[in-house]
Amino acid sequence: MAAVTDRSKLSTVLWPVLAWTIALIFFFPIFWLVFTSFKTDADAVKPEMLFSFTPTLENYTNMTQNYDYWRFATNSVITSTFATLFALFVGVPAAYAMAFNPSRHTKDILMWMLSTKMLPAAAVLYPMTFLTKNFLGIFDTHFLVILVLCLINLPIVIWMLFTYFKEIPKEIIEASKMDGVTTWGEIKDILIPLAWGGVASTALLCFIFCWNEAYWTVRLTTVDAATLSKLIEGNRAPEGLFFGRLSAVSTAAVMPIVILGWFCQKQLVQGLTFGAVK
Amino acid sequence: MSDRSIPRLLQTPAVILLLIWMIVPLSMTLYFSFIRYVLNNLRRPEWTTPSPSNWRGFGNYEYVLNAKDFWFAIQNSVFIVSSILILTVILGLGIAVLVNRSFPGRGIVRVLLISPFFVMPAVNAVLWINMILDPVLGLQGIAVDGMNSLVAGLRDFPVLGAFFSLWPEIEPISFRATQTSAYAVIMMVTWQWTPFAVLIFMTSLQSEDESQKEAATLDGASPWSQFINLTVPHLARPIAIVVMIQSIFHLSLYAEIEIVSRGNGNKNLPYLIGEFASNNIGAASATGIFAVILANIIAIFLLRMVGKSLMD
Repeated sequence: MAAVTDRSKLSTVLWPVLAWTIALIFFFPIFWLVFTSFKTDADAVKPEMLFSFTPTLENYTNMTQNYDYWRFATNSVITSTFATLFALFVGVPAAYAMAFNPSRHTKDILMWMLSTKMLPAAAVLYPMTFLTKNFLGIFDTHFLVILVLCLINLPIVIWMLFTYFKEIPKEIIEASKMDGVTTWGEIKDILIPLAWGGVASTALLCFIFCWNEAYWTVRLTTVDAATLSKLIEGNRAPEGLFFGRLSAVSTAAVMPIVILGWFCQKQLVQGLTFGAVK
Repeated sequence: MSDRSIPRLLQTPAVILLLIWMIVPLSMTLYFSFIRYVLNNLRRPEWTTPSPSNWRGFGNYEYVLNAKDFWFAIQNSVFIVSSILILTVILGLGIAVLVNRSFPGRGIVRVLLISPFFVMPAVNAVLWINMILDPVLGLQGIAVDGMNSLVAGLRDFPVLGAFFSLWPEIEPISFRATQTSAYAVIMMVTWQWTPFAVLIFMTSLQSEDESQKEAATLDGASPWSQFINLTVPHLARPIAIVVMIQSIFHLSLYAEIEIVSRGNGNKNLPYLIGEFASNNIGAASATGIFAVILANIIAIFLLRMVGKSLMD
């Protein structure tokens, strides 16, 4: 009996210690990024100043004055928000149709949609630039960035919504049909309130992916619609140079979304299942 | 119009949008892959505009198949993606089980753990390759330096010194060489996507049947055999989902490779396409078509794996 209690005592101490250690290891790079952003470029590469240095906000004032941080940040907020809204606007009806009126081909359509995400972007970069610049004249506009962000995330959005909608009993939808509720009314008044958690998680994940996208947003913009990824791209100096500046710019680019993620952590823990939980 | 046709029509906007998004670039890529099309060529200026008169047939494909980088890029793509998948699934399982129990501060531990998933991939790459892994200025370099000077200091001690003088100087590893930079990419992407696996596994673990586990404990089953015989089968579907979603994202890995490798030879298929596309659009397009074929082969595998249980 003594051995058992010893063992369980050990595990009650060991378990949290292990969990905390792993969590701190995983978080350390982010901490280090934020930490370094308060050092000057010169201090950031001196080993003797690893932990003892005079913190400075120089990098941040520099960033807002010389790099127009707020313009990039505003663009990121605008494009990610509208791309997410647009993706939901197109995705909710599609997922509704697939979940409640599935046909023989629904599975294939879903898989085909996901497979469009695997198309190599680099192969179509040149035609895309050419088309948007010379034919459509929408290069470097918010409209283009929103459209592209929406399209690349639409497959994931539809997939996620589909898995949530599928869990809603068909009878509820059927019953409302009997009562003469319109399709739009069904979606608005029954489906979305019932699957609210799922819709919110989907929107959140879509927003995160939009914010972090760095292939198209960098290559289809120059100034007007440039997002934070473009700001990072412009500040990627050769190794060892400007660690302080780089950290400040990076911190300012990732912290908004990391903090949003922290606040919505509960939502993500319960909501991010991709249909994995029955 | 029947009852069902209106709801079914609702998926058409999404289908049409994605169809355009797929077909327009794909048909252009297909067209370019059959003609000679370069951005700069002083001797043959007619090749710099796409035109059917520059028809090359399968020439671009032949050229790509004979390029020494092509097979290496495919091999490297597969190596990088499968390493990331194996690492994230194993780490994700372990961590999800670890944080599924209740202990003081579990909420904070979860928040810390999932944070890397929110970090921009470009920032992730810049942060790891410069500030953490750099052999001189990064934390790796500083740590190795510190170890070496510690050992050097210990050599002056009377008895211990004899022991430490046998100790070799440690060399920091440069993660900018072809092979090591692939490891760096695997490391940083695993750091970023393990939280995703943890999130999905954690949700699934919460739905696990506790009474089954209690019965197993009463029967004297060890925690390890419970994990293998009860938990892992319960997680089969979430594992399949994690593998599928991650394959989709990592097959098109670009920013990390671009930032870490910078032309040192470490490349995957998308990066090779990007290299070709800086001048030879024809070759880039032919490589793109190969990439589409590879993606489809993988999609069929994923479909077999996940698709079956998708509809029930």
